Amino acid sequence: MKPSQALSKEDCLEIFNQLYLARYFDVRLIKEKKRGRLRGTLYSSHNQEAVLVGSLFGLQPTDWISPIHRDMPAFFMKDFRFGVDNPDRLGMSIEEVCCQVWGKVDSPGRARDNWSHIGSKSKKIIHSTSMLAGTIPVAAGVVYADRMQGGNAVCLTYNGEGSTAQGIFHEALNYAAVHKLPVITIVENNQWAYGTPVEMECPTPDVADRAKGYGMLGLIADGQDVFDVYDKVMEAVAHARAGNGPAIVECKTFRAYGHGDHDDDRAMKYRPSAEIEAGRKRDPIAVCRQKLIDLGYLTGDAKNAYIAEGKNAGDATNDDFPPHVVEYLNKGIEFAIQSPVPAAEEAEQWVFWNGGSK
Amino acid sequence: MSSTTEAPAALKKNYLTALKEALDEEMARNKLMLCQGEDIGRLGGAFGVTEGLQAKYGENRVVDMPISEAAIVGSAVGMALNGMTVMAEMQFIDFISCGFDQIVNMMATYHYRTAGEVHIPVVVRGPAGAYGGGALYHSQMNEAWFCNSPGLKVVCPSTPYDAKGMLKAALRDGNPVIFYEIKELYRKREIEEELPTDDYIVPLGKAAVRREGKDVTLVSYGQNVYHCLDAATELEKLGISAEVIDIRSLVPLDEDTIFNSIAKTSRVIVVNEAPMTCGFAGELVARISTKAFHLLDAPPSRVTRMDTPVPWVKPLELHVLPTVDKIVAEAVRVVKF
Repeated sequence: MKPSQALSKEDCLEIFNQLYLARYFDVRLIKEKKRGRLRGTLYSSHNQEAVLVGSLFGLQPTDWISPIHRDMPAFFMKDFRFGVDNPDRLGMSIEEVCCQVWGKVDSPGRARDNWSHIGSKSKKIIHSTSMLAGTIPVAAGVVYADRMQGGNAVCLTYNGEGSTAQGIFHEALNYAAVHKLPVITIVENNQWAYGTPVEMECPTPDVADRAKGYGMLGLIADGQDVFDVYDKVMEAVAHARAGNGPAIVECKTFRAYGHGDHDDDRAMKYRPSAEIEAGRKRDPIAVCRQKLIDLGYLTGDAKNAYIAEGKNAGDATNDDFPPHVVEYLNKGIEFAIQSPVPAAEEAEQWVFWNGGSK
Repeated sequence: MSSTTEAPAALKKNYLTALKEALDEEMARNKLMLCQGEDIGRLGGAFGVTEGLQAKYGENRVVDMPISEAAIVGSAVGMALNGMTVMAEMQFIDFISCGFDQIVNMMATYHYRTAGEVHIPVVVRGPAGAYGGGALYHSQMNEAWFCNSPGLKVVCPSTPYDAKGMLKAALRDGNPVIFYEIKELYRKREIEEELPTDDYIVPLGKAAVRREGKDVTLVSYGQNVYHCLDAATELEKLGISAEVIDIRSLVPLDEDTIFNSIAKTSRVIVVNEAPMTCGFAGELVARISTKAFHLLDAPPSRVTRMDTPVPWVKPLELHVLPTVDKIVAEAVRVVKF
């Protein structure tokens, strides 16, 4: 039996709900940026939400994650299953994440670095940098230390297919495989690394093939199908947690927009429109909806309620999303807007640790 | 150098043994400390600094790593993030370039970008320095790269006493420390000394006056300290009294000890085996020029490696490096200025 077949109706509906949350976060921020209320660059996860939701859903609170730039919703969706209002939940609050996006003092990193470059030791989220694949060795070290201290955590690291060209991708996987460390490398293969197509980054059609060279498990998931992602990641997690070593889970997906919002217009030129259309044909919300209808979990009016799929951020409205989803983000944004900007003098702080703690 | 009374030869310890004792004692007192590097376990390290540690502390705490400086440093950062203290050995400090990104972008910035939530107790240490015929890739002093990366402490002990005390201090510091060991000093008999039997540390950021003098100050660190001391002996024969300062710690830097000396001598030469351009000698000269200009009777000067790689065979190697003769000649010039 596949792991997803053991999910309850409530779990399946929660997964559907989380797809909406991730999509709305993206849609709303794109709108906020267009209104001029945001600084910095947005790296949209539009059309890739199933990768995040499906991979995060089965984790234990003690597990670690290491998201990168296109995984912004992962920061608040980690451990979501534990209850969004549960103060002991090991994920960030939407307020914290919005403060990070807005560059405010209540961001977990007090707005010292931008966008996804946050994390939390206490919430077991590794802080990302701009150096692609650079957190994989850190993730390996985290679980090594966890094992030394009697733990049984796994760590999911998120990477684009482009980052597989980095030397550290190989070096870290090789190390993790030698020590059989429970690191699961999710490769979000969205076909484009900024302006370079996958065939110019990877010499083989499937990144997952590389797992063979390390004697590790390599799986391919349909990145548009949240349940397939869940199944493959759960298989890798079970394998890793049992002490069988790391795994690569390649999720085939497609980047909806540009690399960042600064690149949206150019991305329409370097990627043929037919390719964009084909790549976005299977919207993860639509794929999930059909699955829930087939399972009999969505019936009657609910089958066609809140059609957020197949719409560009500019065309989607609040009415396309369940009200509690809109409300959840409103709460975060309102908090972020009133949170102050850090004092300029903070720029000099925390270069060195002086024995104190935050 | 720190012991003033003559100890029996058997009790004197070399620089390498001092480092080994520091690691052993810190591993014993901190159960969440781990050592990792290439060939450090079974073999005991290319130079033997970690000899015996794996047998004593096990394969999980003294780890033979694949040949990947980036993985050695990167995983150490992850371990530190999850509560551990790590000694990460570079087999030669020249190879640290292979782990550069993990050091400067991942490790050095961690405390800063998390606004203090995370601190990284990792010591990256390894054998450094020229004069041994190690050629281009086994002779480097590349400390300037890391002094230019805020968030890293950078130190370089020159005596067994300091090697042990500073390595222990570095492992307890809580910040990432790049620890330059001088491989030519590892087994140098002349500098062996008795070490305290009780636990001790040498605080990072304190310079030492190695010889007092009144005519010119020679500022240095690492093995160049001994070149300066030998030069001071030669200068004495010429009637010139040289003071020798071993800064020991580059970041943080003890400026006061340097300035106090210059207040006395009014002349200063920085001696450094790293290449001249953008080397740490340049930083020292800049600090002296901007903060102690009023104390000077001659322009601050430096004797450094030429801006070349370190060549292999002896005449070529010594041609580009600071030597006692070069220091003496420069001191004579500066004193006459």
